[in-house]
Amino acid sequence: MKRVPIRFKLNGVERELEVQPADTLLEMLRDGLGIKSPKTGCDHGDCGTCTVFLDGRTARSCLVLAAEVDGCEIVTLEGIARNPSPLMRELARHNSFQCGFCAPGVVLSATELLRSNPHPTRLEIQHAIAGNLCRCTGYTPILEGIEAAIEAAAAERSLP
Amino acid sequence: MIELAPLVDAPPESTTDTKVVGHSVQRIDGWEKITGAARFADDLEFGPGLLHAAIVESPHAHARIVAIDTRAAEKLPGVVRVVSGKDFPYRFGLYMQDRHIFAQDRVRFVGEQVAAVIACDPKIAARAAALVEVEYELLPVVLDPVLATAPDSALLHPGLGAYPHVPWFFPRADSNIAHWRKIRKGSIDQGFREADVILEDTYRVPRYAHCAIEPHSMTGLFDASGRLTVWAASQSPFTQRHLFAQALAPLGLSHKDVRVIAPYVGGGFGGKAGVSCEILAAALATAVQGQPVKVMWSRAQEFYNTYQRQGVVAKVKLGVTRGGRITALEHQLYWDAGAYVEYGANVVNAVGLSATGPYRIDNVSIDSVCVYTNLPPGGPYRGFGYSEFFFGLESHITRAAHAVGMDPVAFRRLNVIREGDTLAYGARMNPNGLAEAIDRTAAAIGWGAREYSADPHKTIGKSLVLFWKAPAMPPNAASSAFLKFNEDASLNILISGMEIGQGLLTAMAQIASEILTVPVCKIRVETPDTDRNPYEWQTVASHVTWGCGNAVKNAATDARQQIFALVERACAIDGSSLYLEDETVKSRLRPGWALPLRDFVISGIQVPDNTFKGGPILGRGMFMPEFSSAVSDPETGQGGHPNVHYTTGAGGIVLEIDRQTGKTTVLKAALAVDVGKAINPDLVRGQITGGLLQGLATALYEDMRFDDQGRLLNPNFSDYKIPTALDIPGEVIPIIIETAQPDGPFGARGMGEHTMIPAAAMVANAIEDAVGVRLHSMPLTAEKIALA
Amino acid sequence: MPITCEFEYHKPKSLPQAIEILSGAGKNAAVLAGGTDLLVWMKEGLRAPTAVVDVKGIAELHRLEVSDGSLLVGACVTFTELLESPVVREQLPLLWECAHTVASIGVRNRATLAGNICSAVPCLDSAPALLAHEASVLVEGPLARRQIPVTRWFLGPKQTAIRPGEMVSGVRIPLPHRRTGACYVKLGRYRGEDLAQVGVGVLALEGCEYRIAFCAVAPAPARAARIERLLHGSDLSDSLIRQAQDLVPLEIQPISDIRASREYRTHMARIMLERGLRAAVARLSGGGPALGESVL
Repeated sequence: MKRVPIRFKLNGVERELEVQPADTLLEMLRDGLGIKSPKTGCDHGDCGTCTVFLDGRTARSCLVLAAEVDGCEIVTLEGIARNPSPLMRELARHNSFQCGFCAPGVVLSATELLRSNPHPTRLEIQHAIAGNLCRCTGYTPILEGIEAAIEAAAAERSLP
Repeated sequence: MIELAPLVDAPPESTTDTKVVGHSVQRIDGWEKITGAARFADDLEFGPGLLHAAIVESPHAHARIVAIDTRAAEKLPGVVRVVSGKDFPYRFGLYMQDRHIFAQDRVRFVGEQVAAVIACDPKIAARAAALVEVEYELLPVVLDPVLATAPDSALLHPGLGAYPHVPWFFPRADSNIAHWRKIRKGSIDQGFREADVILEDTYRVPRYAHCAIEPHSMTGLFDASGRLTVWAASQSPFTQRHLFAQALAPLGLSHKDVRVIAPYVGGGFGGKAGVSCEILAAALATAVQGQPVKVMWSRAQEFYNTYQRQGVVAKVKLGVTRGGRITALEHQLYWDAGAYVEYGANVVNAVGLSATGPYRIDNVSIDSVCVYTNLPPGGPYRGFGYSEFFFGLESHITRAAHAVGMDPVAFRRLNVIREGDTLAYGARMNPNGLAEAIDRTAAAIGWGAREYSADPHKTIGKSLVLFWKAPAMPPNAASSAFLKFNEDASLNILISGMEIGQGLLTAMAQIASEILTVPVCKIRVETPDTDRNPYEWQTVASHVTWGCGNAVKNAATDARQQIFALVERACAIDGSSLYLEDETVKSRLRPGWALPLRDFVISGIQVPDNTFKGGPILGRGMFMPEFSSAVSDPETGQGGHPNVHYTTGAGGIVLEIDRQTGKTTVLKAALAVDVGKAINPDLVRGQITGGLLQGLATALYEDMRFDDQGRLLNPNFSDYKIPTALDIPGEVIPIIIETAQPDGPFGARGMGEHTMIPAAAMVANAIEDAVGVRLHSMPLTAEKIALA
Repeated sequence: MPITCEFEYHKPKSLPQAIEILSGAGKNAAVLAGGTDLLVWMKEGLRAPTAVVDVKGIAELHRLEVSDGSLLVGACVTFTELLESPVVREQLPLLWECAHTVASIGVRNRATLAGNICSAVPCLDSAPALLAHEASVLVEGPLARRQIPVTRWFLGPKQTAIRPGEMVSGVRIPLPHRRTGACYVKLGRYRGEDLAQVGVGVLALEGCEYRIAFCAVAPAPARAARIERLLHGSDLSDSLIRQAQDLVPLEIQPISDIRASREYRTHMARIMLERGLRAAVARLSGGGPALGESVL
């Protein structure tokens, strides 16, 4: 089948590739480009481990064809982790994760929430990460880490 | 060699003045996971030569394989090789060898692997797998564990009588009974005669799926030198190495030629223990020598072709006096153990030994029967049979309390087992904090005070139940550790206990840190490579904090002894006066004197004549319980010391039910567990919060459905619902109890599985308390409550 | 699980171009907007198109605008865009509530209303709102442009009125002229995302007019005409609600499957109707539960 040429930005860098029509964005990132933070947890869009930012919004990369991202901007956890946020620091301090497999997806979903809503309620936080399945933690330590991050970020903003 | 002091008989250490142990230090693997840097098995790169395998699976639950035609598959461009059972006629199994790598003459469950295609890319492999044609002759399908024991039932394993197995299993040849654990203690007839009330009922628990978020992923390479390496998401690298070497011995492999490397694991819960699909990477690698081949399980395969939590039909008969004393327990459990029980039979065994629950009962009759069925293999799942049997037992205990007009918590206080009491198999109960667990849990949920909902549709119910579990292990399950200092006095600790999320690496670092005074941030604990890291039986059974912790403690103690012996020798200071503080050796006899570890732990100590004494400090530690034995009377189960100790506790719940819809909301869930010593309280709380939610999910909405041909109808997250962040209880109250385990590191014992064990019974009893409905089968869904 | 079928990927720049490709490939073509259903079907082997037509490059399909008293929702408008639209939130709260229950944020950021109605699974969440508001589906074809009332769009499970070579270009939802109160009640197995086992959309219009639509309890979603006739013109009293509940078994034909039994679905449909009616009426007067709060 005819390969599809695409141009896109990945973590701030312009890239050009030719992809198979049936390659998913997740496969392109993991197998083609060595970006490993999005995971193959279910490959059906149910678990959220494949989450990436696509044109500024979280998307399930297992449900996007690589060909679709021509002209798009993709940001993965690798791009965000270069400048660790209060969110990431507080999640680490609170021992919010156990096995860590869901962590990249959760960090991106929480990042998306806090960008548009710096003071969410606990219920809003639960909704924001409801699409990220975690089997280990029971979620409460993650929620506590995110809430601590909200306080820490507010404190940082109030500094002169 | 330094003599290692035995730990078993040593008095429990004082745990009140530890500096690192007992503190909630930050996980040493946390940052790696949060930045996305942590590598899991599927993340490993093997270069452009990596081949991919797709598995051909049986669509039938029970059938004879008549013929396999691989010609069309082989012709597809990009296909390297197609293999099937005839290429791998090798048996394997952990406790019983009843399984082959690929089905041989027959298939025994829908999804069983029949053949495999190895190709240059996953899409070609998948397309080619669809082209493999298999001809089957259908056989009768056996799905019910009770019916499977009938004399006229189809036999799943005609060769059962010849299967090699561990000496504590009792299979019945020419039947579907793979193992029958019996306990006969006291006189059951006498016990029922003494009872004023006898209560009997049957409880049913279906199968459940682990649903670790990381699917199984494994890659094998059989290189040109005949060395087999498998990279796997595994809880058990050494056990896997052993089973691979045993199974593939006919190819000329010995243990030294087999290497298993296990990186971070994205959740195990028992599903990545033992050997299930991992052996495919090992076997397929030998079919394409010199090229790495990857096998990646899809989410659907995770559901239908990995270990599942076994289903059970349990008959409980309890005799109680009017005063509330339990006089007799008869407990019959028929386990739907699946097509292969090489691991699952030990679940049945473990339950057989412990199906009294944590109660003092003089007259006990237990029959725990492991039955073959044409369903996926049952295996280890967090709780190892205890979650399954406690649903029935703790439901029954509460009903018995009601039957004699007694408060269910008071009833439990009256009958709870105490230290030194005789267990069902004759050994003695270890120190435990059950009494404290009951008191604190009851207080946490406000036991005794009825609560009312503001919503007129809803009522509130409460319950409190007890739990216990012992590690189910062979009597000689061992752990070991190497500990290496570096020039700057930082440490690398090599263990083969797995980090599956529970925080093992951090806990081990804390233990070493406590003894050697090197801060946790200067300690790395390496994930296993069976070539480099020393032996660990498996990361299962909630035993690694205890077993591997003891090994690490021994290794650190060994290193400390070497340090003190060297300083005594080189500096002429009395060794018994030495102690460590802030990575420095000091002496009680010489207040001003201090020698930093980094000055000598690699380079040795320079002495007046300018020679050096000592050299690199290498600690070695090993722990294997020498008091455990599994051999007992086949008819009574008496004798032996099969369980090293029990971890105990209590769970309490406050839930609210909408009487119209049947929907249940958990307002409050409390769980008290006696961990002996919480090495890291945050991590213990993490296990409580996570395990409770997993347990509540099995009680309320997780629901595996098979059709009458043995096919799993919901192998996906759309229809097998696991909790989301919206499904958490209103409040989770973790309660840490510390009644020291005498032979545990700093008094610690394990607790990773225990936190889900009481959940189902907690919910069942609270539902009855709220709406008067007694459900005998799980899950306890809104539909069942509404329509009851 | 890789996609093993082989296809050509097309990204037309205009609607006529898209239609040309679709008519050329006929039944073997698939329209790709959000992809959240299509990619799952391809992975499962349920669809194996030879041509996939990505329509996100067609600017007019991204329109979400009010025109002539209706909200025009282009085929590429996502559920997240609907949820963020003040018009939807304020004037079509029933659609807002339906959209809010679809899957997860990550899916809603890509999934489209058009894709949802084209998949036409009996439990689709958007249907009750579209039926209650008497929306119509805008269809482009090689020969003609059609506007199909939603009541004639759903023909059965996964069956719609679309013909080969056609594609949905948008959905037209008339904005109500009167004040409304609305409630979408969805039965799931727990609080996390789920496919509806029963769905009831209630729209209460000023002047005692009620529009009620069910999903997941019949081969196709549908309005509950008998119940609407019973309630029309009246204030809701306890006894009227009970009478309405008694009509529920006549309005629905639920099945038993692994998600729920027929008996529980019927039982719940009655309860959900009552709670939906009470919430919608309360919201009409400015009270009631907060938007998006479940009444189950």
